[in-house]
Order: sequence, then C-alpha cells, then structure tokens
Amino acid sequence: MQAWDWFGDRSLMVVDISLACCAIEMEAATALHAVHDDSAPRGQVPLQPGDTVAIIVAGTVTDAVVAHVEQIIARHDAKVVSFGVCASSGGPYWDSYAVTKGIGQMLEVARFVPGCPPTPAALHSTLEELRA
Amino acid sequence: MSHGRIDLIESRCTSCMICARECPVWCIHIESHTEVNADAPTQQTGRGPRSRTRNVLDSFIIDWSICMYCGICVEECPFDALEWADAAVPSADLAGLRHDIDQLAPT
Repeated sequence: MQAWDWFGDRSLMVVDISLACCAIEMEAATALHAVHDDSAPRGQVPLQPGDTVAIIVAGTVTDAVVAHVEQIIARHDAKVVSFGVCASSGGPYWDSYAVTKGIGQMLEVARFVPGCPPTPAALHSTLEELRA
Repeated sequence: MSHGRIDLIESRCTSCMICARECPVWCIHIESHTEVNADAPTQQTGRGPRSRTRNVLDSFIIDWSICMYCGICVEECPFDALEWADAAVPSADLAGLRHDIDQLAPT
C-alpha cells in the first residue's frame, strides 16, 4: 500500500480512500500540506510494518463500495479519519437508499472532519492530533 | 473571511424557522416556545381580549456532520441572525458535531 509520509518523519503515514468530490479537496490538502517523496510516483512511499497509519475515507460511501472500504481498512492497523459529511453521516444523501449513513456504523472512527468539503487546513490539524 | 463555520447571533433570532426550512439537507433543528409579552397592550378583538406573544428560542442546533456549508441559511435569514465565521469546526465524535446555542453563539 502506498502512503504519504505526511510530516516527512514517518510519524504518520497517510492512506486515502477517495470516493467522491472530496477526492479533489484531498488532492489540494496533500499538495499543500503533505511532504512528498520526489523520487516516488505521486510522492507516495510503501508502508512498512510498525508504521502509524491514518486511513482517510473521503467522500460518499455508497452501500456498493462499503465492503471494499472495510476490506482495505481491515488489512491495516490504522486510525480511520472520516473526511467530509458524506463519510460521517451520509451528508446531503442522508436519506438516500444507496448511501451508507456514516462509516461510524461499521468501523471505529478516530476523527470526524466536518465540512462539504473540509478545508485542507482542517485535515492537517486533525492529522497533527493523530501524529504519533 | 473563510467559510469555516456559521455563527448564531442569538439576540436577533426570532425562531421563525425559515433557515431550518430552507436548508437543503435539513441540518438545523430549532425548539422554541411562546410567551405572553407583558409590555404590549392586550388587544380587544371580536372574540374578546387577546394578548400579544413572542417566540423564545430554547434550542438552535446545527448538525455539522450533515451541513454542506452552502450558506443558504445565512442568505435567507430575514434578521441577519446567522453569519459566516473563520474558525473551522473542530473534528470530533459524531455527537460532538451537534452544536447548540452555547457553541454557535459567539461570546
């Protein structure tokens, strides 16, 4: 699994599962705040055993993809960050038949970052809280 | 000014519910009750005396886990009781994202 070494000191490795429009704000957040490894594709490096990992679920989690999201998260001992209102509660789709009403129903979530989308600064300050 | 959060100016709110009804995602919850306005004169009507009443706001909740920051509530409020503020809502557990008057109204 490829991850951003967000602070450049391996104190927190960040994996994103970007599912909807929040993916664009994730790109902005990584461009602004994440430390990029210029020798690697997308600036990401492979995870190593013992890393502190944060998995960011960004965007609308439909019932169709929720099993895949759970699968990815189950493979890692990671802190889960719910990025944006869709992942947190369903957001604008809270009464949709096809959208999961927040990943907190299935997973233990370390932080919910509110916003539609949240600002890059809001994500960065949340990751600082989760930093080992 | 960045759109980090929406503040409530409690003294301007008349509990008219327009924000709650215009909100596309229904993330605003308002509770209020009616009190007789003792300062205003009682009106004589065809059905007898009628007191003047006013709404008293009990609870004004914005659920930040649903709000999509569209600002329609800010635009629609006839009394300018809602306004944008810079500070982002801190991340928290889901219950902690339901902000009532004490967190929405700047001190």
